[in-house]
Amino acid sequence: MRNGIQSWLEERFGISEIARFLTHKKVPLHKHTVWYYTGSAILLFFTIQVITGFMLILYYKPTLEMANESVGRIMTEVPLGWIIRSVHSWSASFMIAFVFVHLLSIWITKSYRRPRELTWMSGVVLLLISLFFGFTGYLLPWDALSFSATKVGTDIPRAIPVVGAWITNLLRGGEDVTGDTLTRFYGIHVCILPVFLFILLGIHIYLIQKQGMSVPFEEESKGEKVKEIPFWPNFVYREMIIWLVLVGILFSVAIFLPPSLETRADLMAPAPEGIKPEWYFLFLFQTLKIFPAKILFISGEIVAVLLMIFAGILFFFLPFLDNKPIQRKGKFITAAAYVFIVYALIMTIWSLL
Amino acid sequence: MRVARSVLALFVLFFFLAASFCPLCSSIQQVVDEKGTGSIQIEEESERIVGSPQNIKEKTGIFVFVGWMWLSVIVLVSFLRLKIKEADRLFRLKFFLEKKE
Repeated sequence: MRNGIQSWLEERFGISEIARFLTHKKVPLHKHTVWYYTGSAILLFFTIQVITGFMLILYYKPTLEMANESVGRIMTEVPLGWIIRSVHSWSASFMIAFVFVHLLSIWITKSYRRPRELTWMSGVVLLLISLFFGFTGYLLPWDALSFSATKVGTDIPRAIPVVGAWITNLLRGGEDVTGDTLTRFYGIHVCILPVFLFILLGIHIYLIQKQGMSVPFEEESKGEKVKEIPFWPNFVYREMIIWLVLVGILFSVAIFLPPSLETRADLMAPAPEGIKPEWYFLFLFQTLKIFPAKILFISGEIVAVLLMIFAGILFFFLPFLDNKPIQRKGKFITAAAYVFIVYALIMTIWSLL
Repeated sequence: MRVARSVLALFVLFFFLAASFCPLCSSIQQVVDEKGTGSIQIEEESERIVGSPQNIKEKTGIFVFVGWMWLSVIVLVSFLRLKIKEADRLFRLKFFLEKKE
């Protein structure tokens, strides 16, 4: 029976080819191997996001009148709906945290070196998509907090010269955050972003398979042959342990610390004081806040936003900037990663205080 | 590089904690506290929906589920550790290589 099914599938899908590829694929084994697990952890949380997202779509209504009520209904009437929403919300946070760790580990170990420039660049775009997922998803409960935070968030691009106001209007679907913004954000969150994410994820994973796992610069510079293990089954078994523990942590956190739902957003109400974005935007938010109102004759906000865009461009083209990893320039770029981590931590703590 | 690992571990741990204590979760309360109008705070909090089990049966079920989940994780992790040892042993014996050829 089993052989029959196997040969039926083999004839149609050529499963033995995939199995052969997986056993031939090797994973370098060294003291930095732990960072390889972050990639699959991101995939795990993304899969959980998709599954719970599908469940939430069945009950969520993206209209001005019904958005907040439908989320309330999910939390109070739908069987275990509050857990589904909590898992969706927490897995988003976990996913973004792991995307940050994944990119920073690649930055520090210089795994973006030639010929992996495009893998890095697709990864940076995936980070931006993940952040935009978080930003659009945050408005969907349509409560007072998410409404005000979105108002602040969508107002930031306005500081960009020439195209700023256009970007803000494009995001909001008009001059202000209204029901149109909600519909727009819902469409972006459940339709546009997933399409882009799946395409880029496909390219990213293909590039990793094509070029193999990168050996960190530190290990490579030793000049010795790095030990390897087969991807299947040796590495996959190790990954499964990580997945199990992460799923356990995710469900425990989601059950014991579920997100609440505030009162419905009032378009006419004044914005409450002390509005802050989600944790992964806090360091950027605080950076904007510390800039003075005017720097010479230019608005401080414009300078801050332009500096952030410039830093983002440098980050995107990092593999091309770090073309001499062994020299002073390369060491400076690695040191910049540590400086960024310390800066992000300080700014986040400052923003929380 | 051990330092790098520790820093990154602290980074992720911090953000998990930051997310749980993020003032966004309680900013209505914070705003009201700043203004010092306690009466509004009570009014706002009564409108707030907090996810929780709907009855004692569901609550018990959730606790049982969490216990069962962690027990399953422990059992499966122990099982996988044995599988890793076995797979590594077979790899050292070049079992996969011979099979491949």
